[in-house]
Amino acid sequence: MKALLKQKEFSVLAIVIIICVILSFVSPVFLTVGNWMDILEGNTVIGILAIGMTLIIITSDIDVSVAALTTAVAVSIGFMFQYLPDSWFSVVLIFLIAPLIGMLLGAFNGILVSKIQIPAIVVTLGTLNIFSGLVLYFTNGNYINSTQFPQSFMAFSNIEILGIPILIYLFALVAVSTWFILKYTLIGRSVLAIGGNAQSSTRVGINFKKVKMFVFTYMGFLGGVAAIAQTSYTTAVDPNGLMGLELTVIAAVVLGGANIHGGRGSIPGTLLGVLLLAIMQNGMILARIDTFWQNVVTGAIIVIAVSYDEINHRRNQAKLANIDVKEAS
Amino acid sequence: MRKLWLSLVVVLGLILAAGCVSEESAGSGGDEEADGAEETDNTSEEGNTEEAESDDELEIAVVPKLVGIPYFNASETGAEQAGEDLGVNVEYTGPTEADAAAQVKVIEDLISQDVDAIAVAPNDPASVEPVLKKAKENDIHVMDWDTPADKELVDLSVKQVDDEEFGRHMAEKLVEAMGTEEGEIAILTGGLSAANLNSWIDAAQSELDENYPDIEIVSDKIPTDEKQQVAYQKTLDLLKSYPDLKGVLAVSTPAPLGAAQAVQEKGLQDEVSVVGSALPTDSEPFLEDGSLDTAVLWNPEQLGYLTVALGKMLAEGEMPEDGQEIEGVGEITVEDDGKTVIMAPPQDYTKENASEFDF
Repeated sequence: MKALLKQKEFSVLAIVIIICVILSFVSPVFLTVGNWMDILEGNTVIGILAIGMTLIIITSDIDVSVAALTTAVAVSIGFMFQYLPDSWFSVVLIFLIAPLIGMLLGAFNGILVSKIQIPAIVVTLGTLNIFSGLVLYFTNGNYINSTQFPQSFMAFSNIEILGIPILIYLFALVAVSTWFILKYTLIGRSVLAIGGNAQSSTRVGINFKKVKMFVFTYMGFLGGVAAIAQTSYTTAVDPNGLMGLELTVIAAVVLGGANIHGGRGSIPGTLLGVLLLAIMQNGMILARIDTFWQNVVTGAIIVIAVSYDEINHRRNQAKLANIDVKEAS
Repeated sequence: MRKLWLSLVVVLGLILAAGCVSEESAGSGGDEEADGAEETDNTSEEGNTEEAESDDELEIAVVPKLVGIPYFNASETGAEQAGEDLGVNVEYTGPTEADAAAQVKVIEDLISQDVDAIAVAPNDPASVEPVLKKAKENDIHVMDWDTPADKELVDLSVKQVDDEEFGRHMAEKLVEAMGTEEGEIAILTGGLSAANLNSWIDAAQSELDENYPDIEIVSDKIPTDEKQQVAYQKTLDLLKSYPDLKGVLAVSTPAPLGAAQAVQEKGLQDEVSVVGSALPTDSEPFLEDGSLDTAVLWNPEQLGYLTVALGKMLAEGEMPEDGQEIEGVGEITVEDDGKTVIMAPPQDYTKENASEFDF
């Protein structure tokens, strides 16, 4: 139990559980399987992007171009749909090409950040505008509806295995593999090391540029996957549909206990952050909370969650500092 | 210490000077670009000799809330058509995001181009006020379209529909689609602060209160951030939370699509009716299987056309009259104040007619 309490994700988990308990008393629908499927499926896109963002935030950078990047890939998918034949081959091809386009766009961010060493916020603000400008130029903002989609893709988006929609499997796959990369691979450990202390980690031989390049390219890759998820979720391509989503993504990561100054953050924490935002959105209508109070409640819970986490963290740091002093004396 | 201050002041001065210079050069560069774009526009669109001597042609600027969304693209098509038909130069330009400050800059540029009339669909009526005043001081005719600006300031105000009539009409359509005059309904909106959406919803609510007292609105209007997927999620939540829900009124163009998608996915086409304001091409897949019953809107192409036509009248010193026939648009209504023009009654898009439109 003590080990669990010490886990840095514990504070978010506690708040998630408290909200779940309250909501299940208020609304009989909340704890149904159907509702949880809706919550998870509806937050697959935010979740996948937040997982990628976690790695970037751990290295003490930020990527504000994610929503624009995802939209750019989604629009490319919509464009390809007009040429692809109606067969399963098309779906496979989309799964190969979309992440690849995402990776290229992400690598573009990565090169500017790592090779030319421009601060990531500046780079990604720039690419945010480049991507969304190009998208607007090519699409003129036009919405592509499902009548132009191949039937095979529509069939894909309706797949359910054991009653669970396919998108949730996709989300789980991304979460588990990223968690594995972060925990058990050299590059994953390097990400954490650089976030902890960039100077020391380069001294022990970690290639700083390579790691930065990796996190941004990986973000692009996940942006491509998220674009498929978004297209299959809305069965439409809307060039304005994700505008502003980057803020929600960053909020979810920070809620999940990642430190914006780097070095701290984890996949389970981020998933809890996404879940917290998701159940709050879901619970507002289920709990029949008045519309105008919904924003107030959402904001209040975010502030409480972040302060609680920060106080906990500070307390732990204080303990560490204490030990240092004792050892020195 | 004094040296330090001195050097600081010098540096500050240099920065300011550099700022001014670069602003100036950026400004003039921007203008050149804009001119260049205009020229290419003219040649590519018209290419005939008439257009070459466009100097004494009237220049009408139409500023949408933003460019690059289907709705304002459709009104652009209409505005340009009017320019061709009526022999005026139409400049259709606006910010790429629905941003009040960016829109003000666009209008500033148009003032320096010395156009004859500016028609603006303000993102925020208060923030365009000073720049519209400036336009008037420069003898430019000022009008608003799509969304009203400050009434005192504009010479003409072009409205697509009468807000009251539009809201009431949507409510009527919803009751019609539900086939019953009692039951629970929910209202989705694009955003809580959008003035025109709010006035439609208010009108719809008073229609329901007055004529259908047995219809119960289950919650306050629910905001959907102008996004389809948000409207979809909220409708899913509504369907779970209120299992007896009979109808959804979705105001703002993406909201009906999301609401209809939820109804479609749950297979509730016969139990839950959805009526809202959407463009016909976007709503087609949902109109087909009845998950969206009726999309109510006006014709945005005609709105663009009418704006340019009235802009031309204004620049020539005429004012429109009540019941006047505008070619390509139809009979318009002018309200008692003499300057608020209402285009036409709301238009219904249904399964039967949606495929006839290309916006």
